[in-house]
Amino acid sequence: MPPAIHPVDLLQALRHQRLTPAIVFLTSRRACDEAIDSFEHRHVSIPATRSAAITHVLEKMTAEYPSIADHPLIPTVQHYGVAAHHAGHLPSWKIAVEELMRQGCLDAVFATTTLAAGVDFPARTVVVTQSSVRKDRDIMELTVNEIQQLAGRGGRRGKDYVGFVVVTPSPYIDLGPIANGLTNHPEPIDSQFLLSYPMVLNLLKAHTVDHIQPILEKSFAQFQINQRADRYETKLDEVETQLEAYGQRECADWITQWQSFTLAKKRRSHHRLKTRHDPPEVSAQLAFLTPGRVVELSKDHAIVLRQYRSRGQGYAMLTVIRSGGQIVEYPANTITAVIDEIIDVAEARKFPWCTPHSLKHAIETLENFPTRLRRLPIRVDQDGTDSPVLTEMLSHEFPCPTCPARPACQKDHPQALKLRQEDHRLTKTIHALRTELWHRFQQHVEVLQKFGYLTPACQLTPEGDWARLIRINHSLLITELIRMGAFEGISASLLAGVLASIAHDDDRPASFPGRHPALISTLGQVRKVAHSLSAYEEPPLLRWDIAAIADLWIGQPTLPWSEFIRSTTMAEGDLYRLLARTLEYLSQLHGLRSTHPGLADSARDAMDRMRRDVLQELP
Amino acid sequence: MTNDVLAKQLAGLPVKLLHHLARKRVPRHFRMGKNRLIQTLLALSPDQQAEIETSLASLLQEPARSPDLPKPPDTPSRPSPPRHNVPAEPAPAISTKELFEGIGVPPQRPFKPDDWQQEAINHLATNDVILSVPTGSGKTYVALEAMRRAIEAEQTIIYTSPLKALSNTKLTEFSQTFGSDQVGILTGDRRDNPQAPILIMTTEILRNLLYDAASGEIDMRLDTLGLIILDESQFLADRERGVVWEETIIFAPAQSRLLLLSASIGNPDEVAAWISSIRSTSCHLIHHRNRSVPLRAAYLDPSGKLAPFFRTRDIAHGKGVALHPETKRLFANYEDRTLGPRKR
Repeated sequence: MPPAIHPVDLLQALRHQRLTPAIVFLTSRRACDEAIDSFEHRHVSIPATRSAAITHVLEKMTAEYPSIADHPLIPTVQHYGVAAHHAGHLPSWKIAVEELMRQGCLDAVFATTTLAAGVDFPARTVVVTQSSVRKDRDIMELTVNEIQQLAGRGGRRGKDYVGFVVVTPSPYIDLGPIANGLTNHPEPIDSQFLLSYPMVLNLLKAHTVDHIQPILEKSFAQFQINQRADRYETKLDEVETQLEAYGQRECADWITQWQSFTLAKKRRSHHRLKTRHDPPEVSAQLAFLTPGRVVELSKDHAIVLRQYRSRGQGYAMLTVIRSGGQIVEYPANTITAVIDEIIDVAEARKFPWCTPHSLKHAIETLENFPTRLRRLPIRVDQDGTDSPVLTEMLSHEFPCPTCPARPACQKDHPQALKLRQEDHRLTKTIHALRTELWHRFQQHVEVLQKFGYLTPACQLTPEGDWARLIRINHSLLITELIRMGAFEGISASLLAGVLASIAHDDDRPASFPGRHPALISTLGQVRKVAHSLSAYEEPPLLRWDIAAIADLWIGQPTLPWSEFIRSTTMAEGDLYRLLARTLEYLSQLHGLRSTHPGLADSARDAMDRMRRDVLQELP
Repeated sequence: MTNDVLAKQLAGLPVKLLHHLARKRVPRHFRMGKNRLIQTLLALSPDQQAEIETSLASLLQEPARSPDLPKPPDTPSRPSPPRHNVPAEPAPAISTKELFEGIGVPPQRPFKPDDWQQEAINHLATNDVILSVPTGSGKTYVALEAMRRAIEAEQTIIYTSPLKALSNTKLTEFSQTFGSDQVGILTGDRRDNPQAPILIMTTEILRNLLYDAASGEIDMRLDTLGLIILDESQFLADRERGVVWEETIIFAPAQSRLLLLSASIGNPDEVAAWISSIRSTSCHLIHHRNRSVPLRAAYLDPSGKLAPFFRTRDIAHGKGVALHPETKRLFANYEDRTLGPRKR
């Protein structure tokens, strides 16, 4: 049994129940391509009339987009009525597949889940084979939003009574998340307010720095932050009402006063506390609990054999012998009373802590005790928590020892302190939330001032005035390179190569069309600059193989696309996107024609040479 | 018995038994080793030693039973308690045949807009509108109708999409509806028909236009801009690009209406409240989960067998919707077959 259904069988099952046309979402581009290939081996072709219809549509599309004409997948589409649709294909091919689907010519399209948003065509059925996707090298479970996005393609308005989601298992599936995704409410969306350098420059071009904060406050980010802050405000109000009960007493800020008083007390008596943990009742008793002393333990009597300190915490401990001859150890505070009676016990250094003779004597004595014995009255110094010396010392600095509010303070202090700490914490959190965006804005401003794009008064310098027009990723790197003159006098193809390697952020491996010494050395310099800016801007990948590919396309103006794609292992869809993005970056440089005419000219030159063949078909 | 004999006897016992003997007689016996335990026991008072001897004798007669032996079988096991929280008998699960009933193509009918579509169009005359409805339920109709009205009022319309690929599809679609001279497209480096009333672009391009307008370098007819349509506006939550949607909405000209088209999201009311709070007019939210074409779910086993995915035919909303028993069985089999050998 294979881990997943064979694509041909899948389509057979769907056809059998009249569930075609269908969009089959698969995990990877490769899975899509293999699914299409597998039709070749099974020879289950569609009727000739439908093939003819497909050919007809494709011919019409070819007139508009010539690059479709000799696409290698055309025979498969014509024979089997299936196609793949993923980011590895040229946009023109994807448009053709979408058009075929709209005309109802295809039975199934195999697409990748990652591009669900780009699949803008419906079908009767959607086939889901996975419950998780790969995102940035991580496997993530599909969200409810994503599952509903996939399922939403099922059922065509006006063409179907009902739409279907067919779930079929693969190694990447669990039914729970899918059932959940189909039935549950979609997740709420959260603002992702990323500040960028061009944004800061553009804001400061149009507005003075005093007006920025109100603008930032208009963002969805701030709106959501305010809602969170409001929830904290309600909590803060509650805390403050509770705090009112602990208002002013003898001194204005009695909580702080009491806290420093107790702290001082603790510090001064530190050396005493180290040796004595005992409560006053116990320490008063301890002097009497010598070997041979009779004591009362709950309802029973016992004779003390030895007194010692527990090893860990230093508690006062007793070894006693109880009636019945058990030798037991107790903390001293379990003694309920000390009896006015001492018997003779000869101590020993080892268990049972006395000579066998005196042990026998002790057991006999215990058995013969009357039930009531006279207790020893022991005076406990109740007020002994502060020694008189300490009180004397502290009353110079604090009013507390003699203050009339002292008992109240002592009682309320823990609760009041807790409330006040909560109050401070909430106030801080609210402040941090409300000023978060402004703070991030200021950080960006500082960086731009450091590099000389902004004056200390937050006005654009001449440099900043043109730098704000570079509104793409890695803008700081690009503007710094322009200021260093890194692009001066370099050829159009080299310029495009460098920009391509800055623009490309995918680390899919690709083979390269050959080394190019000028390119390598230029990229080496760019890398140094990018590295020096890494504290302010994430450096780009700067792959030299990518640069070499872009360089090749511009450097050989007669190279046709079909030969160009054979020089590398990159998918043609990826190549197209790389060149399209490079064009976008170049057009941003071209926008600097009033300040950097030389650079703008070579950007224009590069763009003109890039725009040919496939790259000319679509706007 | 003399001490020596006792010592010998104790030394012959397992240490576990020695601890048993020392219980309640020697404090902290559990911390001692065998030899120290024997010494301590021998140092006890003569009375206690006599007790130890008697208990020792009784222990030696009956063989020691280790405490972790299984319970003798004759103890009656507790009867399992009756289950109280058995839910009310659920409706019988539907059959596969019922699931696939009614597939087909409906007859062509004159198109009549849904109430919510009409509501959206009417509100666009005065308010901003957010549409958060399921995919494929007719957002595009609202967009087209709103555009038609804006064109009649001689306004400019900007339509933005997150992907260039979608821009191209929309270009074709709008050209078919309004004629190709009415639609233009702007990309980073190319402008096709930029004087047309409908302009298609990516959201980044619109954001750039708005920045240029704000700094006084206007090269677009933003003063006649009457309608901005932001397609796929759930991109607001995109990790890298979401900020562009926020900037666009913040800087959108006050006189133009915003139409946000979004897939179903969890908090459209929050987005609407935000837009209302920053713009001059309030933002009207249209939000529902009804699909115009009902959706059903099926499970396809690798063996080719089809079964309903849920117990009910239509997909219910809410938590804890039950899977169809047949699907459960098939999937359990599938997991056994594919995961089984690795587990063992």
